[in-house]
Amino acid sequence: MSEIKIRKRNRLQSVSLPAEIIINLLVGGFALLCILPFIFVIIISFSSEESIRLIGYSFRPLEWSTAAYKFVFDMGSQLWISYFNSFFVSTVGTLISLLMCVLYAYALFRKDFKYRKFFTFFVFFTMLFGGGLAPTYMVCKQMLGLSDNYAALIVPALVNPFFIIIMRTFLQTSVPTELIEAASIDGSGEYNTLFRIIIPISKPGIATVALLTVINYWNDWFLAMLYIREPKFYPLQYLLMKAQNQADFLIKNSSVIGVEATKLLRDLPGTSLRMSLVVFIVVPIACAYPFFQRYIISGLTIGSVKG
Amino acid sequence: MKKVLATILTCGLILGSLAGCGKGTGSTSASTPASTPASGSSSTVTNTDSKTPTDRPADHVTLKMYLEGSNVTDDTAVLQKVNEYLDEKLNVTLQPIWGTWGDFDQGAVLSLQGAEDVDIYFTCSWTLNEYNQFARDGYYVRLDNPDNNLIEKYGKDILNLLPEVLIKGSTIEGADGYGIYAVNGYKDIACQNCWDVNVDLLKKYGYTIEDIEKADYYSFGDILAKVKAGEGDNFYPLLIEGAVLERMVDNSIIVAGDSGSNNLLSYYINPKKTSDQGAYGNKILNKFATDEFMKFCKQTREYYLKGYIDPDMANPEKANTVRADKQLTGQYLIGTQSYSLGYEIQASKERGFEVAMVPTTPAYVDTTSSQGAMMAISTASKNPDRAMMFLNLLNTDPYLFTLLDYGVEGIHYNLNNIGEAVFTAERDNYMPWTNGLGNVTLLPPQEGQGADFWDTFKAYYGNADEIPILGFTFNSENVSNEFAALANVAAEYVLPLCTGAVDPTEKIPEFLTKLEKNGMQKVVDEANKQLSSFLASQGK
Repeated sequence: MSEIKIRKRNRLQSVSLPAEIIINLLVGGFALLCILPFIFVIIISFSSEESIRLIGYSFRPLEWSTAAYKFVFDMGSQLWISYFNSFFVSTVGTLISLLMCVLYAYALFRKDFKYRKFFTFFVFFTMLFGGGLAPTYMVCKQMLGLSDNYAALIVPALVNPFFIIIMRTFLQTSVPTELIEAASIDGSGEYNTLFRIIIPISKPGIATVALLTVINYWNDWFLAMLYIREPKFYPLQYLLMKAQNQADFLIKNSSVIGVEATKLLRDLPGTSLRMSLVVFIVVPIACAYPFFQRYIISGLTIGSVKG
Repeated sequence: MKKVLATILTCGLILGSLAGCGKGTGSTSASTPASTPASGSSSTVTNTDSKTPTDRPADHVTLKMYLEGSNVTDDTAVLQKVNEYLDEKLNVTLQPIWGTWGDFDQGAVLSLQGAEDVDIYFTCSWTLNEYNQFARDGYYVRLDNPDNNLIEKYGKDILNLLPEVLIKGSTIEGADGYGIYAVNGYKDIACQNCWDVNVDLLKKYGYTIEDIEKADYYSFGDILAKVKAGEGDNFYPLLIEGAVLERMVDNSIIVAGDSGSNNLLSYYINPKKTSDQGAYGNKILNKFATDEFMKFCKQTREYYLKGYIDPDMANPEKANTVRADKQLTGQYLIGTQSYSLGYEIQASKERGFEVAMVPTTPAYVDTTSSQGAMMAISTASKNPDRAMMFLNLLNTDPYLFTLLDYGVEGIHYNLNNIGEAVFTAERDNYMPWTNGLGNVTLLPPQEGQGADFWDTFKAYYGNADEIPILGFTFNSENVSNEFAALANVAAEYVLPLCTGAVDPTEKIPEFLTKLEKNGMQKVVDEANKQLSSFLASQGK
């Protein structure tokens, strides 16, 4: 059985040697383009500030140094607090967000749902039109009290219309309605159908959305900038963003702030330090990817309806 | 098919996340603040009542104050003392919001637009909650409103302490008429551009500082040539910030309210006596069309071609950092620098060689510099009266101001035998931005500034001349479309022209045509119309 499969695939997918070389080169080059910036960041994070000052960013710095990493570790509790915050917000946020996304998308997917059209439009509309920053801010901060707490980092990003549409489309293309009919004939209730039948066969879609959501939460600094003023709630990305913003702002306004700006700028973390923080931020999320990948590949090959 | 879709999706994801990483080169905010040299003050910090004994109001209120540029991680010790004191004086609890350079702009604007219950905001001419704009749009309380004159009622002491030019600079046309919408901070309020001279290097080639003082930009050539020849190809004797250099050489200044457009508009001051009218009178010009500008660009081009100017200075991405590094390491002969009192001493110490500042004009006060740091009361504040009382106390009471800015004596700083404040390591956890807090002359001087620092300071800044159009702010509302288009054009040409990276005889006409096409004349006319009505209202 498996032998046949392999032979079949080989015949179908075989290409001529030159074509294979070209394709490999193209794809390899593309992969290199993707990975190079990150390698560059790692190299810069290990360059000495002196070298950056003299020759700028380079793949071959004049001098290597681990000073930036030492500084990060010496920075003390803030780094670890922020690390914890990022992990906490990403995990809790993703779980709740996924649940809402699946529930919403499933309802939109069911053709027998009466208000399907309205709710599809409802979610689609917010993709196109937003209320603007100031009203959003007012609602979140003053009505919902999302200020200086973890909820402020989680709730505003909880429902993402784009992910709901992805999820709904995924369900439409991969879950046959016969399956639901079969389940109900066998006496399965609505919740049972959703959680024991639909969700297990939708793992690829869910994993994709989960990955997107995790990245969304992990990379978010904007919510923290808007709603968080206490350092103990800062996520990791915001630490990084803040220092970058400070440097940019001081450079931009150095002529009005005057002499002081130069001094203030010098007190900010150096480039290699920022790059080392980038490494700290990227590594965990890069490690999370293979975990999701498992579902994406295995899920799709399993059929659910035979005949 | 699904597999392909999933693969594409995931590829997109990885790409997206990588791209995110590439960009997000920000860094931690946990910067190591270089401990500022502390200093002592001659005036002993006293805990006496301010001059007007305010009766302690009966009801207790909490005031929130949104500040800029802070670097504060632990304010418990300070706030405890501050609030003890404020409770006793005004029956007030203070809750500062320590905005930083990175988040203040966005945070304060949203907070204002969201009508949050923050009472006092830092504001000025260069942050996003720009003073003139937000006063016009009704976000700030008019403090000298005839119906409810807060300054008259609670803030008289401030007026006595601040130089008159400051009040003049902050009196503007706002939502409630022509008046004061914020309390000025008393900081380095005057502008003075200087040649920043590396004296050690100058002496090495047999020149003295007098040679620089006697010369001007157009006659630096010989000195530059000699130093360039002696120091080699990789040495660039002129270390310039393009736009600043142009202003120094041509005596043009920024027009307030124009910061969004790359400072297209220019007013020309009188380099001998800044309170008099300049060569063009009280007119705003398109400076790029003047003969001075052509002459300046040609000279700069010549210096550039001879290798006196680092090509990096024409690269907006690198110019600032490269310049800062070269200043620090002394790889320059003559630089451009906006001056603040005592900077040559500080710079000499920091850079490890003798630095001299040669001014090109006397110190002057213009609208931008007089609006450099202010405190406005929000119209959303529930207790504007109490906020004004607090601002009055903050700006007049040395004990309160020192406590809020330097921290607690014995914890964050100590006074040495001549009364200068010497900071401790604790100060790293509590560093508000001094100039953003208010009347800095109430502080003890920092170590090394000398006991009589503030006297010198007041003499220098208090006596600075005002330019004839002080208080004028351009309102770009009527020409906002032209403005945006012109800003793009200017971004393309100004820096290369002012650093000599391109040929002016070819590029200036091209530049001018583009400006003309995008409505430069309309903007200049509008500015002059506003200026003449402003001057008429001033009785000039």
